[in-house]
Amino acid sequence: MLGASERVRIVASLVGLPLSDTLTRRAPEIANSRTSALIQGMYERGWVEGVNIRYEIRSSFGGPENRATAVKELLELNPDVILTSSTVETAAMMAATKTIPIIFATANDPVGNGFVESLTRPGGNVTGFTSSTPEMGGKWLELLREAAPQIERVGVLFNPKSTPRAGRFYLDSIQSEAAATGVTATPVPITEPSAIDEAIRAYAGAPAAGMIALVDPFLVINRLAIVDAAAKYRVPMIYPFHYFIDAGGLMSYGASLEIRSADYIDLILRGTKAGDLPVQSPRKYELLINRKVAETLGLKLPASLLARADEIRE
Amino acid sequence: MNETNDEGRATPPPSRLFRKYLYSFVALAFAALAVNTTLDVWFSYREQKQLLAAIQREQASSAAIQIGQFISQIESQLRWMSRLPPDLSAREDIRLNAIRLLRLSPAIAEIAQLDSRGREQVRVSRRVADRIGSNEDLSASPAFGAARASGVYYGPVYFFGETEPFMTLAVSGIGNEPDVVVAEVNLRFIWDLVARIKVGNTGKAHVVDRKGQLIAHPDLWPALRQTDLTADPDVKSALAGIAPPAGGLVKEDLSRQQVLSTYATVAPLGWLVFVELPLSEAYAPIYASIGRSAFLLVVLLGFAVLAALLLSRRMIVPIRMLTQGARRIGSGDLEQRLAIKTNDELEALGDQFNRMAAHLRESYATLERKVTERTAELEKARDQALAEHSAAERARRAAVHANETKSRFLAVVSHELRTPLNGVVGVLQLLDDGSLSETQRRSLATAATSGETLIALVDAILEYARLEASTEALEQRDFRLYQLVEAAAELMRPQAQAKGLAFNLSCDAGVDAYVHGDPVRLNRVLLNLIGNAVKFTPKGTIDLTASVVPHDGALLLRFTVADTGIGIAPDMHERIFEDFVQADDSIARRFGGTGLGLAIARRLTRLMGGELTVESAPGSGSTFHLAVPLEPAQHGAAARVARDPSRSFRVLLVDDDPVNCEIGEAMLRRLGHRPTVARNGSSAVALAASEPFDIILMDLHMPDMDGVAAATEIRKLNLQPAPRIIALTADVSKGARERLAGAGINKILGKPLLLNTLRDAIDSDRDEASVTARPAAGALIDQNYLRDQTELLGAAQIAKLHGLLERTGETLIGEITKATEAGDRGRLARSMHQLGSAASALGLVRLSERCSELELSVTSVPAAECQAAASEVATLLEASLRALGRLLQPS
Repeated sequence: MLGASERVRIVASLVGLPLSDTLTRRAPEIANSRTSALIQGMYERGWVEGVNIRYEIRSSFGGPENRATAVKELLELNPDVILTSSTVETAAMMAATKTIPIIFATANDPVGNGFVESLTRPGGNVTGFTSSTPEMGGKWLELLREAAPQIERVGVLFNPKSTPRAGRFYLDSIQSEAAATGVTATPVPITEPSAIDEAIRAYAGAPAAGMIALVDPFLVINRLAIVDAAAKYRVPMIYPFHYFIDAGGLMSYGASLEIRSADYIDLILRGTKAGDLPVQSPRKYELLINRKVAETLGLKLPASLLARADEIRE
Repeated sequence: MNETNDEGRATPPPSRLFRKYLYSFVALAFAALAVNTTLDVWFSYREQKQLLAAIQREQASSAAIQIGQFISQIESQLRWMSRLPPDLSAREDIRLNAIRLLRLSPAIAEIAQLDSRGREQVRVSRRVADRIGSNEDLSASPAFGAARASGVYYGPVYFFGETEPFMTLAVSGIGNEPDVVVAEVNLRFIWDLVARIKVGNTGKAHVVDRKGQLIAHPDLWPALRQTDLTADPDVKSALAGIAPPAGGLVKEDLSRQQVLSTYATVAPLGWLVFVELPLSEAYAPIYASIGRSAFLLVVLLGFAVLAALLLSRRMIVPIRMLTQGARRIGSGDLEQRLAIKTNDELEALGDQFNRMAAHLRESYATLERKVTERTAELEKARDQALAEHSAAERARRAAVHANETKSRFLAVVSHELRTPLNGVVGVLQLLDDGSLSETQRRSLATAATSGETLIALVDAILEYARLEASTEALEQRDFRLYQLVEAAAELMRPQAQAKGLAFNLSCDAGVDAYVHGDPVRLNRVLLNLIGNAVKFTPKGTIDLTASVVPHDGALLLRFTVADTGIGIAPDMHERIFEDFVQADDSIARRFGGTGLGLAIARRLTRLMGGELTVESAPGSGSTFHLAVPLEPAQHGAAARVARDPSRSFRVLLVDDDPVNCEIGEAMLRRLGHRPTVARNGSSAVALAASEPFDIILMDLHMPDMDGVAAATEIRKLNLQPAPRIIALTADVSKGARERLAGAGINKILGKPLLLNTLRDAIDSDRDEASVTARPAAGALIDQNYLRDQTELLGAAQIAKLHGLLERTGETLIGEITKATEAGDRGRLARSMHQLGSAASALGLVRLSERCSELELSVTSVPAAECQAAASEVATLLEASLRALGRLLQPS
């Protein structure tokens, strides 16, 4: 369905994670590689890498300078469509081009961030996918309390620089649920990986405590450190993405990462304007629980939680 | 049209019929194939379209059923949950059941269980924290109300977070106080279902809710954009409950592609499932079928053309052969045979052509043979005719040549004879100088008579020669017929009486008439006939009868001479009219004659338009019949005078010659005028002065005063009325005429005077000179003139004039002799003139002419010649008077 003479399209991808991260790295053996999943999805829609499509991936990891360099490099390639991984990258790319279509993989509040005019009709050259609604904060707390009913205090871990609205996006619903259930919820903002250990250690011991990791690329980047610290200090912690479970985390609940970007890249490469494509919200939510970690923490998982869990890892 | 075009039409290009056949076959084949293919395609198109529409309807129904099942499955799960017994349903259990339902149905985003009063017992959600025992009163919600009322509630589609289509599904439990389970269903899960519905290869299905909102589409994002399709006419009619058309609809889909569309209704929800197949795909098999049919048509057409070509050629070849054969036969090549072996009517036609050619060949051969034969015969006949013709022509030329030779011979001989004969006769006349003895004189007279007879014979031959040469012309004039007949009879009567024959002339009254014709020729014929009768009748009677009868507006003279002579044998009846032929050779010996008389008579008769025939038998006499047409006289002189007595003029006749005076006076009296005679010029002038005259006839040559002088004198008298002066002279030369004109004389009358010319001159007021009718020259006496004068004056007067001339002549000869001797040339000339003038009055033409010549010449010739002239004139006078005497003698 595609002519052999058709020029090779270029898909640029700006990721927040370092290129060495398994989530970013292109390796077929790595099951959870987001890049591999995208390439596979495009292949199913007729876009064969090296034949009619080319992928260029740059990382904005390492500070604003690196980000700017990555943006500049990608734009110099004159790509047909640009894929951004999160809010920070999207903002940086939007500032650099108003013409090249941009698809953001996750954005908590694209309207609030000024990425789109409305979710149904974004206008401009940007569209994409939202991840979680603000109410999800209450849901995380509920699920955390179901797994560890004894906790009296909860720490909400985030990097105010990379979390939507510096954490306030979720904090309201968390604090509201905490108040309803008699739990003290405290924001734990960190900006440096070195502060992770210290921040988590503060929730070890009595009174029993748990932690909630917000949707934050910073946390994803430093997921191993966080999971390790949580295990070290025996703090039950709930995460928004399954990457944390893959890294040995206790449980995660959030929008399932369906392969949605490929759909829109395909449409845009075939001529649809990005501004005509509605911003999609998540459809499915996944609850993953690592029973081993739970046992390690001495937690007895109730039936309601197990019944809800989409996947229970041993 | 030119010739080439005509030819072109006559032989049309042989390919015309071929093309006609070819086109007809091809057209027929094409028409049949085209109609067949078109009908085939049309029916197959319709069938396929209906089949397609039916398949699509099936697909739509199937999709509707699947979607209905999707909803009814959730509904039955909710029903299960709502119907759990109350004792089993502690709130925690309810929550667990709800959680299990969420696990079971990913489309359910939230479940709430209300008690029978509408208070919320449990609410389990995927996004927000669960609520247990909130007892929130939701009895007012439409879901609760409707579910309690009818057991189930299908809420309208609403969009959560702007882009997510949701609907509320509520189910009421059973029993007195049933719980109501309310679920929020994420309709995006229908997408999986809709995406799975296969419509052809590229066709799509989409779902529209009861309000016309697009809620599911395989492309997902149109549904997320809350696309409103209420404006779509199909959606509108579908929402109004109208069934889709059997053949499906053709319309534009959301991506502006032409699609074949149909729909079905999802039973409990009232949603519509649209199934759309792009036309390009839907009709692809139809188009392929049409393409196949068209290809087949072209291939079959190709075969048809080939077949038509072969068939047309098969048909055209024998026809072309026939055409060429016919053309060759037409151009004459009959040997041509047509070899057409088609075993059909064309072969039969070819055979007919061959047979026709064979027949033609035979006919041609026969015809040619006949033509050859006829041609040969004709050539033979023509050669013969040509030979005959040339022989005849040769004979004719010889005859003509011989005749010409004869005529020329006769003319030459006659002429050559006549000249010496004239000499002989002239000398004979001169011989009698008065000193001859009686015997000598008689011998001389016999010799002279014989000479004159010879001359007459030669004249006859000459005349005959002229007649033969057709050079004779009639000299027509008015004359009195009876006088002529009588004169001829009277001339011959003495000879007849001398032979003792009875000689009778009987004339009709009609004969006494003036007629117009040639009296001289007629006279000759009469004299010849009468002379013959006298000559060949030894004894018996000669009867002459003359009658005149009207004939063709003219008159016909019948004159018969019947004798009792020797007669003529019948075989000679015609021959006697030939030249030199007499009834018998012995006749010439017995009677003499030239044998030319009758030949001349018949030729003259024919020249006058008449006929001369004979009835005779040997020994019983002959009767010659003469019939001559004559015209009535144009001017009857006597009748004229009698008719016009008032025109009587007083005429003064001036002439010194007594004979001329006598004749002139007689003529004038005869014409009814009153003449007065003057013998010389002076007395004429005196008379003219004393008496009135209307006309003066003036002789020019007079001794004392000539005519011109006298006329001048008379003119000087200035007489009133002035008399007309007419000159009388033989000199009508131009000089004389001018001289006369000077003297007031405009009219000249030639001498001798003729009655007619005199009458014309007097009657006419014309001033032109009348041309004098010259008397016949050559002969001694102009017999015609003499006869006229005799007729005019009467025989007695002529006899008197004869005597007068003898005396005058004697006197004048004496004068001439004396003048010659005296050498008085003037007197000689005058005397010559007087003698000539007197001689001319009685027709002595030779003497008159000779005198006129001598009158002019004597003044200039030597005296010896004058002498000779004088004696010549004297001799001529004597001979003329003798001849006159013979003519005037009745015997």
